[in-house]
Amino acid sequence: MTIFRSKLNFFIVIIFLTSCSSMNVTEENVYSEDIKTVKASSQSQTTENISFDSMAVFANATIYFEFDKSSLTSKSIQTLKSAVNALKENQSIKITLAGHADERGTREYNLALGQRRAEAVSDYFVLNGINKNRITVKSYGEEKPVAYGQDEMSFAKNRRVEIN
Amino acid sequence: MKKVLLMIFFSNFILSELVLEITQGTEDPFRAAVIKFDGEYEITTNVDQIIKNNLTRTGEFTILDNDDLLSIPNNESEIIFNDFKILNIDYLIIGNIANDYSNIKAEYQVFDIKKGSKVRSSTVFGIPNKNRQLAHYISDGIYEEITGIKGIASTKILYVTQNKEYRLVVADADGKNEQVLLESSEPIISPSWSPDSKKVAYVSFETGMAKVFIQDIASGNRELVIENSSQISSPAWSPDGKFLSLTMYQDGNAEIYILNLINKNLTRLTNHYAIDTESSWSTKGSKIMFTSGRSGSPQLYEINLRKSNARPKRITFEGNYNAKGSYLPNNEGIVFVHRADTNFQIALKYFDENFIRPLTESQMDESPSISPNGNVIVYSIKEGGMGLLSGVTLSGAKFKLPAKEGSVREPAWSGFLR
Repeated sequence: MTIFRSKLNFFIVIIFLTSCSSMNVTEENVYSEDIKTVKASSQSQTTENISFDSMAVFANATIYFEFDKSSLTSKSIQTLKSAVNALKENQSIKITLAGHADERGTREYNLALGQRRAEAVSDYFVLNGINKNRITVKSYGEEKPVAYGQDEMSFAKNRRVEIN
Repeated sequence: MKKVLLMIFFSNFILSELVLEITQGTEDPFRAAVIKFDGEYEITTNVDQIIKNNLTRTGEFTILDNDDLLSIPNNESEIIFNDFKILNIDYLIIGNIANDYSNIKAEYQVFDIKKGSKVRSSTVFGIPNKNRQLAHYISDGIYEEITGIKGIASTKILYVTQNKEYRLVVADADGKNEQVLLESSEPIISPSWSPDSKKVAYVSFETGMAKVFIQDIASGNRELVIENSSQISSPAWSPDGKFLSLTMYQDGNAEIYILNLINKNLTRLTNHYAIDTESSWSTKGSKIMFTSGRSGSPQLYEINLRKSNARPKRITFEGNYNAKGSYLPNNEGIVFVHRADTNFQIALKYFDENFIRPLTESQMDESPSISPNGNVIVYSIKEGGMGLLSGVTLSGAKFKLPAKEGSVREPAWSGFLR
């Protein structure tokens, strides 16, 4: 049926062309394309507010999620409870929550999904008495996977929030 | 020895034009013959082959092999119309290229075999050492003459590659003639052309967070569109080039805003606790389509900008994932990423129909971008974990673009440049 549509267009065009029998004469110039390459200078993230000892507390804190979900599981809450305690004991610590998604679905939707996951973790911290000023929330969407397979095991590892 | 090396070099060069892979064509295409252009070897090399590939890629042409022709005319006086009529050929194209005081001058003619007459006589002035561009211009002239539709061989495609580094690359519509716009050690996503195709907007993570930049292609000058502490993403230009729609995260959730590029005023468009992102403008700029998770799964919605406080209207109902929509240039429908079951496909929906037409059938098809004439969609596929670019015409013909170094994704088609 798509084919039918485009054919119809052609017929109209052909009728139009045959109705005026004159030959088309054209003259044109090829445009000159000018393209410049730019190199982005990446800024390394600052972690100066985090002391070496307290960083160790968070080193392995990663929270995992279901497909297209940003709700916290009971297992995640166990991990987050100890993170809350560490944050309360070390009032000077600031944290970054980086949300991630698996590769299925569109990149922008996954960026937003990663953000939602990071926000869900942030909301948990705030609800449990952590000042929002101590938390930076961001997302990498599907851009920074930790597992590269195209199977559910890899996907599950990539649907995460990393606490740093 | 020198001669032998030269021969090998040239034969490789010619072979490199034969990579075109058409997996499926349309029924009843135009039959055409393209004769090798007359002129010095260096300036005519590959021109006829590039034209043949460009026409074949549209899915609307069958180009006969020159070995199958009964006669090979080098100029108009040598044409024996009957030799082509017998082979059921619709159109014959001949031409010549000359070096005219350091200018390249190409002349070509299109003959309608059934009518037995010349229907087009054209001249294209080229740029030295840019045979490809010349061939693309000629292709578009031929396509336009025969179909009455503007050709897209002279347009460009923007895409992202990831090897060791991330690169934003611009190439000809056939995937050749690659030039790098941006190199970065951090991800680049969502490239988008300004309506005049002189600038690009994209998302770069170079600051450690998603931010939208605008870059001038010719000068390389770039600017961060909004400076604030939260992430910004998914840029899309309004058709008049005065506005950029964006996804902003300052409210703690993905919401769509419209940025006035002249006075930098921001207008909020969506207001919902679910994800709202991937905005795109209708051809006349009167509507914005976007992906929203408000129904529980990603679906496409539309907002009429002409009505004040218009509510978003849901426009996709089939399938559990419909995202990244864009309007056909004639505004008769939309193209988007669709998942009915487990596979992500590129799909088309006409507004006057109540069903979705899937256009592709692999597992992970994403990022559809429509050619400015509305006939072709370029999109990304995954093969063995690597991203590649493919094309499909609305009439159903499919092709693959040549493989690149590293993984390729997020193609964006320019406007007309010719």
